[in-house]
Amino acid sequence: MAAAVQEPVAPTFRDIDRSVLRVMEMPGLAYWIWVGFCFVLVGIGAALWTRQIYEGLGVTGLRQPVMWAMYITNFVFWVGIAHSGTLISAILFLFRTRWRTAVYRAAETMTLFAVATAGLFPMIHLGRVWNLYWLLPYPNERYLQPNFRSPLVWDAFAVSTYLTISALFLFMGLIPDVANAREHAIGWRRTFYATLALGWQGTDEQWRHFSMAYLLLAGLATPLVLSVHSVVSWDFAMAQLPGWHSTIFAPYFVAGAIFSGVAMVITLLVPMRRWLHIEDLLTPWHFDNLAKVVLLTSLVVTYSYSVETFMAWYSGDKIEQMTFYMRYFGPWGWLFWVMVLCNCLIPLLLFSPRIRVNLTALWIISLFVNVGMWTERFVIIAGSLATNFNPSQWAFFRPSITEIMITAGSFGWFLGLFSLFARFLPIVSMTELKEGIVWLRKSLRKDYSRAA
Amino acid sequence: MSAPVEIIGSFADESGCAGCVEKLRSAKPIAMRVFSPIPSHHIEHAIGKPKSPVRAFVLTGGILGVISALALTIGTSWEWNLVVGGKPIVSWPPFIVIIFELMVLFGGISAVLSFLFNARVPAFEIDARYSSRFSEDRFGVVVRCEEGDGTRFESILRDAGAEEVGREAA
Repeated sequence: MAAAVQEPVAPTFRDIDRSVLRVMEMPGLAYWIWVGFCFVLVGIGAALWTRQIYEGLGVTGLRQPVMWAMYITNFVFWVGIAHSGTLISAILFLFRTRWRTAVYRAAETMTLFAVATAGLFPMIHLGRVWNLYWLLPYPNERYLQPNFRSPLVWDAFAVSTYLTISALFLFMGLIPDVANAREHAIGWRRTFYATLALGWQGTDEQWRHFSMAYLLLAGLATPLVLSVHSVVSWDFAMAQLPGWHSTIFAPYFVAGAIFSGVAMVITLLVPMRRWLHIEDLLTPWHFDNLAKVVLLTSLVVTYSYSVETFMAWYSGDKIEQMTFYMRYFGPWGWLFWVMVLCNCLIPLLLFSPRIRVNLTALWIISLFVNVGMWTERFVIIAGSLATNFNPSQWAFFRPSITEIMITAGSFGWFLGLFSLFARFLPIVSMTELKEGIVWLRKSLRKDYSRAA
Repeated sequence: MSAPVEIIGSFADESGCAGCVEKLRSAKPIAMRVFSPIPSHHIEHAIGKPKSPVRAFVLTGGILGVISALALTIGTSWEWNLVVGGKPIVSWPPFIVIIFELMVLFGGISAVLSFLFNARVPAFEIDARYSSRFSEDRFGVVVRCEEGDGTRFESILRDAGAEEVGREAA
């Protein structure tokens, strides 16, 4: 006999505090083993990068003509992952979307650490990392300034602006929550939270300025989120390489970024909800809405793939057509079909309302999307370079252990930082959940009636 | 003239607090401040203060960002008149990307700095009337008034549904 479903008790402000603050209690051994594992991966990646700096790029699989491959794929992948955080925290904030309150802090944290991870890859990709400052508005030894007509310089500006604004946005939202945490903490944690809270007391005067600053920051972050991945896409679209030189890259990349980012939010939130016991804050209703965003962006991405194919055919450009033929049926064609399976076909399951609230199924689908979106970037970047204008140059890329382990290290870096944040800072916004407590209660009742 | 006192009332809900603030405002206290665990438009409206000047700071920051980006892109291009890819020395379309990014960057930084400046944070001293519950689940109203008016303000707070009402020397 199925167990009787317990009718939910309408949560109060105090219940929300209790649930979130409980997560911030001292974690157990399993948590530290996990964090240790993540940072061991970072250590291995760092050691291999050190070797790469010492030996040169020859230790990687980068050979002419494929001089952009896994590192740049990782860069684009992580910048893309970062996008859903700002979408959820800024764009949905402006639209006053109710379901964002429980998920936005985790999404925003993910954004910050994903941009911080992405920012490492242009450096790792540089053979001579000490010349990184050539991208910054600082003259080199011959007093030559960066070329502002280069998309790579736009990228340096866009990504560093995005990192700064994301960090400020996250920090601003944290202030009232850490002030609350300060009131319950003792010892070093109290000092830590009190320092971060900046003496916040929630006076009407503080809220008046806070609300305005937060609103304007959201207003500024909204076009920024659209611009950053557009700029990243122009790293490719501005080049004349077939497979890259496309006018649809900006919206196509932005949709892909939101697609992969929301999938990553689901990948992180489903286990987090269970391990941190925050089922009362993150309900299937929240996941249902996240799944709808994944489904919508999956359809946009599928449409983009079709339009790219159509344009290659309709243009009558033989080289463009050959590039796409090689993409689908060449030696790396299987990667393209993996990408289609993961990004276009599997997400169609989300048309089913049952699957959207089945968290195990949703989590598995989100993993497929993550794999599919990483593959998509690799297919576009390395695949297009491998089959360029000149067939005599065609060559294929084989990743070395350096690239594989640095990629694994980037996942360790991201997951380790996220895990540390999740246990030491409020990973769910108490303030916003309280503000939208009516909707949290409604969602719990809705889930109850569905389960009953 | 009697010495001023501060009457402190706490409320369990936002609407009760906002309603009380409106009544207190019409009773014209010397000063009033409200503590709240959440941002509340009702309370903000009831207090009736003007919109935050943060808007002006952000606008100034954004304009400064645009000017800085213009100076950076055009200035450095003029400094080295180097034709790249046959493009004009001052190439507007690519420069717009830099101008946009710096506008957002400067505007965003201005938003945070002006919030810190206007809200007087970091605050190194916690208000004596602040209670930890005002960060959790209670809304607090502190009214400063003449000692003789204390009873009148206390009864307004009680009538509006305050759970606790206290009085302290200002």
